[in-house]
Amino acid sequence: MRIEKCYFCSGPVYPGHGQMFVRNDCKTFRFCRSKCIKNFKKKRNPRKTRWTKAFRKASGKELTVDNSLEFEKRRNIPVKYNRDLWEKTVEAMKRVEEIKQKRQARFIMNRLKKGKQLEKEEAIVEVKKNIHLIKAPHAGKAKKLEDKMVQKLQEDVDMGDEDV
Amino acid sequence: MALYNFKKIMVVPTAKEFIDITLSKTQRKTPTVVHKHYQIHRIRHFYMRKVKFTQQNYHDRLTQILTDFPKLDDIHPFYADLMNVLYDKDHYKLALGQINIAKNLIDNVAKDYVRLMKYGDSLYRCKQLKRAALGRMCTILKRQKSSLEYLEQVRQHLSRLPSIDPNTRTLLLCGYPNVGKSSFINKVTRADVDVQPYAFTTKSLFVGHMDYRYLRWQVVDTPGILDHPLEERNTIEMQAITALAHLRAAVLYVMDVSEQCGHTLPEQLELFNNIRPLFANKPLIVVANKCDVKKINELSEEDQKIFADLTTDGISVIETSTLTEEGVIQVKNEACDRLLANRVETKMKGKKVHDVLNRLHLAMPAKRDEKERPPFIPEGALVRRKAMEVDAPKRKTERDLEVELGDDYILDLQKYWDLMNEDEKNDKIPEVWEGHNIADYIDPDIMKKLEDLEKEEELKEKAGEYDSDEESEDEEMQEIRVLAKQIKEKKQLLVMASKEKDVHGPRMPRTATKVERKKLEKQMGGLGLDMDDKDDSHYAQQARRSRSVALKRKRETSAPPTSKTRSQSASRPPRDKSGLRDPKMAKKAKKMMKNSQKDMNRHGKKGEADRHVFDLKPKHLLAGKRKSGTNDRR
Repeated sequence: MRIEKCYFCSGPVYPGHGQMFVRNDCKTFRFCRSKCIKNFKKKRNPRKTRWTKAFRKASGKELTVDNSLEFEKRRNIPVKYNRDLWEKTVEAMKRVEEIKQKRQARFIMNRLKKGKQLEKEEAIVEVKKNIHLIKAPHAGKAKKLEDKMVQKLQEDVDMGDEDV
Repeated sequence: MALYNFKKIMVVPTAKEFIDITLSKTQRKTPTVVHKHYQIHRIRHFYMRKVKFTQQNYHDRLTQILTDFPKLDDIHPFYADLMNVLYDKDHYKLALGQINIAKNLIDNVAKDYVRLMKYGDSLYRCKQLKRAALGRMCTILKRQKSSLEYLEQVRQHLSRLPSIDPNTRTLLLCGYPNVGKSSFINKVTRADVDVQPYAFTTKSLFVGHMDYRYLRWQVVDTPGILDHPLEERNTIEMQAITALAHLRAAVLYVMDVSEQCGHTLPEQLELFNNIRPLFANKPLIVVANKCDVKKINELSEEDQKIFADLTTDGISVIETSTLTEEGVIQVKNEACDRLLANRVETKMKGKKVHDVLNRLHLAMPAKRDEKERPPFIPEGALVRRKAMEVDAPKRKTERDLEVELGDDYILDLQKYWDLMNEDEKNDKIPEVWEGHNIADYIDPDIMKKLEDLEKEEELKEKAGEYDSDEESEDEEMQEIRVLAKQIKEKKQLLVMASKEKDVHGPRMPRTATKVERKKLEKQMGGLGLDMDDKDDSHYAQQARRSRSVALKRKRETSAPPTSKTRSQSASRPPRDKSGLRDPKMAKKAKKMMKNSQKDMNRHGKKGEADRHVFDLKPKHLLAGKRKSGTNDRR
């Protein structure tokens, strides 16, 4: 019993689910649900259909080359059952999965960091351009001007006093 | 050889069918329409073609029948004789002869009528001639009805004859009815012949095949023969006689020791002596069957003497029982061996042998030194052979286990697995974890790889890859963010407000709605201006002065009032002067106004709302063919 991969979306096909299509040249295609089958029949390229894993990997949105991804590989030479090997493998699998997920998350985070930078710049530009919507340009300046004039008069009076 | 053709003979149709098929074929495959006014040569040609076509068809079909059926002189005498027995040679030849005559007659008829057609001078005459020709051909064939029926039956029976190869190694079983010939063939080969207690269960020859010494052997079962002279034999017995006469085989004469077949041993011996001449040059074995009921030494003296006589004559007598299978293999082996020896002898006497012998040369290698080189037989083979001879008990199979345990039996193939540790055989092996196949991860070096990965991971952590970046922004940036958010919200509110405006309904001009002082002060206050004591401001003073907004201006007061008293109409500046600071600006505003009106005036429009099209489909644009023009200006 194996969990296969859907040809179109690369999702898991559990036993008892999905369909398999065999072409005249003996190439088999497994699908997880009718959405993938319908897209395949419409001759859509999974590498160009945005919601599939194939697209995400091909356009660099997800981690593709990494050592933690080399562990899960379909091997053609069967290995004889050996209890401690199996036990060790299960433990190793869990650890590898952890590391893989950490790395994938880090990759995506790095990709999205640039967006944060752009956001910052956008905010600055926005504020510069449209500040007049929330604050009049000379808000508070009238008072300042008055104060300034009062101060100036005061100074003049002082000066006059001095002169006299 | 001629063997296979028996199955490939074409179906012989009945006379009526034959006629129907040919006539409808003529109707379909020749042209069907001809008119009175056509030229006479055309009419003649039309009808001649029909006559010739029919003749051709009959001729072809009849020739095919004649060639398909085997000629009794050309096939192996065994088959010739068999067919004679079954179908009567004379009748067969006669039937085929009749068909041949019919064919020739049809040809002649057609020839005559085609010649006559040349003298037909009208459509009617030609048509009648054609009718006559076809009619005569069909009558000839109608007369062959019985021959055709007979030939069809012969064909059906022929195709069901067993395919006996007269030249290969054969064993022939013969004897009285019910002695056990069919049981013997059932035991020795894969044939499934009917075995019943009544006489003449087997009514024709049956063939079975078996293997002995890596060669294929035929075993032929015959119907039983009764003891009367040749002339009085019926068809069924004659088949057996034919087989005996023509097939070069080892003969197994089967006798019933227990006399259950209904005939005594002396009677059986009589028959044996009568057909003895047929056994010349053939290896003969007497099979004493049904020995499970009665053995030879239990018989009476005279009967035992019969067998003793046979043995002294040089004919081997073997006791068998097809029920208990004792002696059957012995009979088979001896018959086969003797037949092989006989065949080899005959071949050696012939002429062809020398060609072969001259080309054969058995090479014996000369000894090159004194070392003994005996043939090497591996131990396993010797052990096997010993086991076969002793008939040692075989190892216990699963089937034996199943039978032993009955209902408790569970098929457990895991116990035969070849693992490194024996006690792990009954483990439940995990296959899947969290959506991953464990089989994809199995690798003898997985621990090493995991170690490398962990080291890498440590290095990465040390290098700080996994530290979360805090947003170390200064206060200014944070302020900017807050402001940006507020601006965004304000923008959204404005958009929503403008969407709520009822654009399709009647619109009040800008000057009609009065701006409330409170509203103005609130809005400006929201933008951060100081609106505290603004009683002296211009807008407040104006508000006090004006009495009400909704007073319509009377038409008579369109001329500016002469008195200097400020009247309502004069307090509001005319539209082309409101909002303009100085004459320069006024001039510019006027110029802009004139500019925007230029296009409208040029097109003779009443105003900016005049969208009337005087000529929706101008003829000069839409008429005519599409020549080398474009569509972008129509």
